[in-house]
Amino acid sequence: MTGRLGQSPGKNQKRASERERATHRKWLFVLGPVAALVMFAGTVQIASLLVSREYKAPYRAPAATVDETPRAEGLTAERADAESRARATPYVEAEYRTFPVVGSRVAIWAVAQLHLLFAAFVLAVPLFAFIIEAIGYKTGDLRYDRLAYEFTKLLSVSFSLTATFGAFLTFMLIILYPKFTNYLMSVFSPTFLPYVLLFFFEAFFLYAYYYGWGKFHPLVHLGLGLGLNVVGTAIMFIANAWLTFMTSPRGISDTGAVLSVMDAVTNFTWMPINVHRFIANVAFGGSVAAAYAAFKFLQAKTDEERAHYDWMGYIGNFVAIIAFLPLPFAGYWLAKEIYAYSQTLGLQMMGGAFSWLFIIQAVLIGNLFLAANYYLWLGMGRVEGVQPLQKFIKYLLIAIALSFMVWATPRSIIATVSEIRAMGGSAHPVLGFLGVMSAKNTAVNVLILTTFMSFLLYRRTGKVATVAWAKTGHAAQLTIFAAAALFVIFLGVYGYFVEATVRIRLSVPQVGSVLLAMASITAIDIFLFHGARKTGEVRWGRIPAISQYVLIFIAVTFTWLMGLMGYVRSGLRQHWHVYGVVRDTSADAFTPTLGFATQVVSVTVLLFFLLIGFVFWLSSLHERPDFDRSGIS
Amino acid sequence: MKRLRIPLIARIGALVFATTGFYTYVGQMVPQNEVQPPEEIVVRADLTTSGMVEIGREIMDGKGLCLTCHTIGRTGALRFPDLEGVAVTAESRVPGLNAVEYFAQSMYEPDAFIVPGFNPGMPVINRNPIGLTDEEILCVIAYLQTLGGTPTVTLQTTHRYKGAPAPSSGGRP
Repeated sequence: MTGRLGQSPGKNQKRASERERATHRKWLFVLGPVAALVMFAGTVQIASLLVSREYKAPYRAPAATVDETPRAEGLTAERADAESRARATPYVEAEYRTFPVVGSRVAIWAVAQLHLLFAAFVLAVPLFAFIIEAIGYKTGDLRYDRLAYEFTKLLSVSFSLTATFGAFLTFMLIILYPKFTNYLMSVFSPTFLPYVLLFFFEAFFLYAYYYGWGKFHPLVHLGLGLGLNVVGTAIMFIANAWLTFMTSPRGISDTGAVLSVMDAVTNFTWMPINVHRFIANVAFGGSVAAAYAAFKFLQAKTDEERAHYDWMGYIGNFVAIIAFLPLPFAGYWLAKEIYAYSQTLGLQMMGGAFSWLFIIQAVLIGNLFLAANYYLWLGMGRVEGVQPLQKFIKYLLIAIALSFMVWATPRSIIATVSEIRAMGGSAHPVLGFLGVMSAKNTAVNVLILTTFMSFLLYRRTGKVATVAWAKTGHAAQLTIFAAAALFVIFLGVYGYFVEATVRIRLSVPQVGSVLLAMASITAIDIFLFHGARKTGEVRWGRIPAISQYVLIFIAVTFTWLMGLMGYVRSGLRQHWHVYGVVRDTSADAFTPTLGFATQVVSVTVLLFFLLIGFVFWLSSLHERPDFDRSGIS
Repeated sequence: MKRLRIPLIARIGALVFATTGFYTYVGQMVPQNEVQPPEEIVVRADLTTSGMVEIGREIMDGKGLCLTCHTIGRTGALRFPDLEGVAVTAESRVPGLNAVEYFAQSMYEPDAFIVPGFNPGMPVINRNPIGLTDEEILCVIAYLQTLGGTPTVTLQTTHRYKGAPAPSSGGRP
């Protein structure tokens, strides 16, 4: 049946519903003013609350109509007395102020953590956007250019949020810890002007890089990207000087007087933190960018979109995992420097108040390795003819699971008194041996080697080496891998039978053999698969949806891990603002329980994802079609 | 019947929430110790040797952080010397030093003698961040003397470091 004008009832209904939606949309314009009014009312309410706490004189009729009473005289005298007393009181600088409800420490902690997470993202994304753009320029493949631009789109809002949280953190420090902040400022004042100037340059390079996309010669644009990265890294180095000085102060006298600003900047943990943060930022940025791609993949309507975002997620995750693999080594260097600076500090970290934190860390890193490998194994399904390689996955899984179990085994076990008696101490007679550093170093090195093997397997999907020495090449790679794994395990076991002086040094050849194995296997692989025959095409987008949730899981785990390790780096000082020099005498000087610390970390991580979700949404506005004005009457 | 479809944003939100929730749960499973800053210890001038032993043990476990590194009665692969029977070994550890002088040297000037098989690592105990006073260090010595021997020190016991100012850190503890 058709309608009077020859239109179907369905079309009429559609038009009616469009008219209804348009009417509703008309009301949307009041949303902004209403929100502004609510905010204004809230501000007035807070201001009123604060003002109401001050003394206010009661209303009085004009003096001409009312006689002065003794009560009024008394009140006037009281006010005059209070004012003269206030004038006579000398100015005393506040040492601490209290933040309501959660306390000053938690307030600073949350703001600093959010600032750092956004800063890490803002520093990392330009780095791999630049690399991807450079690959696109070199190969002439426009897909890379589009991908780099898509990453860069996430930057501008994140940059604003980083700066906002940075300003928020500064104000919070000045308000809540004025005396200590003043001390830090007195030590580092020569670094502030360069920092601000670099921040200006950062803004210039970032916006020129973003808005100048496709507007300049590619090499000029790449130059802007390089400038952005150099300036961003320099900013991080300066900020790292302030915070590392608090843990390992240098360049000052025993009473805190400045002897050398350069020594204060280049303190013991400065360079290890610079390197550690640089690598960790790349890993973190890659994982968040991969999570963005996963979100877009799950939203995608077409196969083309799915293929693009699958590829973007793969690249983001690839960057994250490649950066993640050397991260334990950088962490090891940092820990070594902490020990070199102060054995007490090092032992507090690994054997004292924070020792159990590293069991939580082991769970997180174990999950990261498991998830990263799982994603790679799922990704093999994109390529036809992958079955011959899939049989190796179960062995890799066993190696990862065993390493994970060793790493997460604590030295001492939480047990009842009778259980401790039965064990002959808090350490389990058998499992206790897995809780020491010899076992843990071995486990982490095997985990790294296994993940590297997963990458190699993934690289082999859909390819067959055609070089004459292919068989020898495969055998050489396998031999190097096996030799490195056996050497790492041998040194791990050997560590139980030697003195501490020898045992501590064994981790260096363990790390060295893994790095050497990865470098040499990669080198062989490049030549081995040069001109390889393709046995199947990569079908981007043909991956189970669960893989995308794995990417989001990896991003959340990375973020949580950063929060946790940020806590140990800062909390390690315990009741010192500047370790051994400026003591924390505030009510928050104690070290909270790990349970409490993990709650704070979780809240900041949830806030970060709420905000980064907002960034994703803002970035997606680019792709929205313009508003259709034809419906406006 | 139409299958209920959970919006994507809710699914992702649930995943983020569940992941952070899981890690928070792991955080609750480990031992929960709140570490308070060390309390100021009052060493009265009339303290007896047995009173000094009590305070010394308290310092070793708390402000002095001694038991973070050292063990008492543990064997095997150790990072720092075990203190079981240290009162006996201290008598002859360094030629020319008696037990009290050796204990004092190991705290005021820890790198002067390193026990064979171990690395240097002991901080200077009368300097920050540990910063024990001369009297507190005597209390620690009194406790160490009980580990295989009989305490003899009093607050009047002297040694070559007593009363000397803490050495400069040179920027590190």
